[in-house]
Amino acid sequence: MNTVIKTEHLSKIYNQGEIEVKALNDVSCEFHKGEFTAIVGPSGSGKTTFLNIIGGLDSPNTGKVVIDNTDITKLKSGELIDFRLHNIGFIFQAYNLIPVLTAKENVEFIMLLQGIDKEYREKRTKELLKEVGLGKMMDRRPTQLSGGQQQRVAVARALASKPRFILADEPTANLDSKSTAQLLDIMAKLNEEEGITFIFSTHDQRVIDRAKRILVLEDGKIVEDKKM
Amino acid sequence: MNLILKLAWRNIWRNKKRSLITIASVLIAVFLAVFMRSMQLGMYSNMIKNVVNTYSGYIQIHKKGFWDEQTLDNSMIFDDKLYKSLINTDGVIELIPRIQTFSLMSAGKTTKGVMLQGINLEKEVKLTDWSKRLVAGQLFKSNDRSVMITKGLAKFFNKTVGDTVVFIGQGYHGVSAAGKYPISGIINMSNPKLNRLLVFFPLKLAQEFSSANGLVTNLIIAKEDKAEMNDIYNSLSNKIDLNKYEIMTWEKMIPELKETIAVDNIGGILMIAILYMIISFGILGTVLMMTEERIYELGVMLAIGTKKIKLTLMLVIESIILSLIGVIAGMLLVSPLVLYYHYNPFVIPGPKGEALKDFGFEPVIPMSTDINIFFTHAMIIFAIALIASLYPIMKVKFMKPIKAMRSL
Repeated sequence: MNTVIKTEHLSKIYNQGEIEVKALNDVSCEFHKGEFTAIVGPSGSGKTTFLNIIGGLDSPNTGKVVIDNTDITKLKSGELIDFRLHNIGFIFQAYNLIPVLTAKENVEFIMLLQGIDKEYREKRTKELLKEVGLGKMMDRRPTQLSGGQQQRVAVARALASKPRFILADEPTANLDSKSTAQLLDIMAKLNEEEGITFIFSTHDQRVIDRAKRILVLEDGKIVEDKKM
Repeated sequence: MNLILKLAWRNIWRNKKRSLITIASVLIAVFLAVFMRSMQLGMYSNMIKNVVNTYSGYIQIHKKGFWDEQTLDNSMIFDDKLYKSLINTDGVIELIPRIQTFSLMSAGKTTKGVMLQGINLEKEVKLTDWSKRLVAGQLFKSNDRSVMITKGLAKFFNKTVGDTVVFIGQGYHGVSAAGKYPISGIINMSNPKLNRLLVFFPLKLAQEFSSANGLVTNLIIAKEDKAEMNDIYNSLSNKIDLNKYEIMTWEKMIPELKETIAVDNIGGILMIAILYMIISFGILGTVLMMTEERIYELGVMLAIGTKKIKLTLMLVIESIILSLIGVIAGMLLVSPLVLYYHYNPFVIPGPKGEALKDFGFEPVIPMSTDINIFFTHAMIIFAIALIASLYPIMKVKFMKPIKAMRSL
């Protein structure tokens, strides 16, 4: 299978006063193209830390993260920003749309940063928003959208840059059942029809039920890796 | 860039009340600063104009060494050649020759030392309106053989128009100079010191009296109102032989006036500095809040791939736009007032005004419309905005997305 991410012996230690907390403890694993992976585990098991490190938002104390032959732990801050822009899509628990931009502008924003020309940008933005069911709400600002709608804009934004994979940290944590179902349908459809690779951390059983692969983390270690 | 501008603009209006307060504080600062400086600088330029136009002119050319030793022996030839070589200088409207010497003035049993000034009234009008100074009699013509004495001297000698006075002195190269001439007019110089000192001769008569035909001691440069004195000074300096002549601005000739203005100016600058300090804290406070409350958001933008330079630019543009709106609004509000008081100056009433009159100053404060005042204060506000922007610049420079996103 086509490997997208490979982690080797990842460790991350946080110092909380005099106490050392091992958030990740020698984690090695691979993610392949087209996977729909849920990282699960109790609070403090290291799910978010793991996602942050493979997303290049945080750095490990030891180990490496190789994405398409690039060890991102070796990249400088500026290079990492550029790498994230072109290779990784993010969906956050709190949606994190830019509040002063409309749904359309939020999606377009990433492509603007990538330097994509206006015509293509507008075309793709419309397509993506239609795909997530928000074709008629493109000009609304985040405050004029429900939580579920905002999270769908976040999905469209994450897809806009045509990333190698999408990382989603507890994407349904703030959503009601209906919105969760809608979001999962969209993500599953994108995964199945377009082969988009999704990796998400979650506590939500409804999400876990839809995952094709489940990684269970406990005390910073992968204790189970099962394909569904 | 469009996107960054759009983001900056919308971010400003996210918290309308705060942005409007910041804009208002910048507006008030610009308004007060420009108003105060226009008034102060207008007052100074009026003082300079009063003194300079009354007596010295903005620029004078003399024979080299004259200013240190003001005698007839340090006079110079003023001929067509010199006139033509200087009159075409940009901003120069006239070259006004004068001859100046000291003499004893006598009438009856009274004698007093006076300063005798040979002047060409037809040219002097380019500097000031002499008819306004005339308090009795009439202004002499260039070929007249009469003199005008100042009000103080008329009082001292108890002489008036039509009376004759005698002058005895030393002419060019030690030749004795003597003559008696009728008084054609009494002049009020306003300045009490000058009012007790000056006697005016037609230039030719003064040259004849001093045996200094064709010679002048001072060549006063009359300039266009808007022309820059220093530009003219530089142009003239390039045209004359500095080994033969000396060229001086009023600042060198009347340093005490320059010093008086400089000392007074410090007070004004201090006031403005305090005003700007208050405004600086206002702008800094806004920038600080605009940055701090958006740390999380900035972290997210960084996480999804926004370069730090773009984030910095957005924050800097925000504080520049805020300042710009305040500056423009302040300028728009203050400009009509400055213009109004330029053409309709404040009149200083009562004893203060009278005292100023006695010292030869008009008791009015016309506001300066010098564009540099507006420009300078706009620049100061921008500088303050840019300095305030250092905070978000540093914040973004050292920002780590993961830390920023934990700040919520």
